[in-house]
Amino acid sequence: MIAFIRLAVLAFLGLSVLYLLVATYSRSVRRESLEKEWDANPPEGKGDAERSVFIKDGMDGYEHGLKKRLLWLVFIIPMVLMAVIVYMIDFQ
Amino acid sequence: MSGYLFWGLIGLVLLGGGLFLHFRYPVGSRGRTGLKWAFRALILAVVTIFLNYSMPSHDVVRITNTYNRLTTVSWENAWAYASPDTGTAESATTRDIRFIDAAYADGSVVVYRNEDTGWVWPPYFKYDSSNLQAEAQNFKSTKETAEWVMVTRYGWRFPFLSIYPNAIKMMPVAGPDVTFIPWVNIIILTALALLALMIRRMWIQFRERMVDPVVADAGDILEGIDARADAAHAEARGQWGRLMAWFGTWMKKPRP
Repeated sequence: MIAFIRLAVLAFLGLSVLYLLVATYSRSVRRESLEKEWDANPPEGKGDAERSVFIKDGMDGYEHGLKKRLLWLVFIIPMVLMAVIVYMIDFQ
Repeated sequence: MSGYLFWGLIGLVLLGGGLFLHFRYPVGSRGRTGLKWAFRALILAVVTIFLNYSMPSHDVVRITNTYNRLTTVSWENAWAYASPDTGTAESATTRDIRFIDAAYADGSVVVYRNEDTGWVWPPYFKYDSSNLQAEAQNFKSTKETAEWVMVTRYGWRFPFLSIYPNAIKMMPVAGPDVTFIPWVNIIILTALALLALMIRRMWIQFRERMVDPVVADAGDILEGIDARADAAHAEARGQWGRLMAWFGTWMKKPRP
């Protein structure tokens, strides 16, 4: 039982670190693509202020989008995998 | 000599050797490229050996005997046995371990141990050793009336270390020549490769977005506005120097 609790705590810590890393990466990729989208075809007569607003709007959209929610799979997939392994090994 | 001392010494030797080689062949010297490739080959070898040990393999065998035996586990082979708190291994030194003897079709033999892996590495989460032992007992057969089973196991048999592969599952098969596609291994290796690619892309993204702009900034201040000197400077400092420059921005030091 102690071993299981230890595994659960360590896995939670490890997966949290992984989640933070992947979330940062995903946000960074989104911001970069927004910047590139603006820079590739900047609207006439718009400057840096509008660019910032455009990127901020895009990032707000990302924060509430599906992709951001899919990041929870970082926690869910390993737990499902573990349940499947336990079932296959011990209950078949 | 205890296990901690032994593995600690190995760690120290590796660390010392690594530092020696790092300073013997500094960045940009002639031996550095060779050192880099040697290091990569070493990492690849370690990963391969590690996976070879812990991934499942499949043997088609005939079970010949099942028994328990008091077994002494000492520091040099403890890594190949269940850790003391998994349930089938109450003592750290002398344990009553279940074993399964088996024979291949060509007459060569194999001995499995049958221990829980519990909730620790490798992640098979096996805690039904007693059931597996009963199944093995049930599959026991003679040469004449051979019953063939496919045993899923991980680990190695090294007689001089007294270590045994751990049997995980067994299921009856038609005969010794049954073909088997190791889907689980294919999936695991593919997932690991994808994970490695993902980590690489994350690292590249991190460098591109966080580290390189900082290095460029610092270069501007140090070298004036000479872009070529700046690029050369960043290149000369290498991967590590760039990363340290990025950490430097956390310190809010007054810049020169």
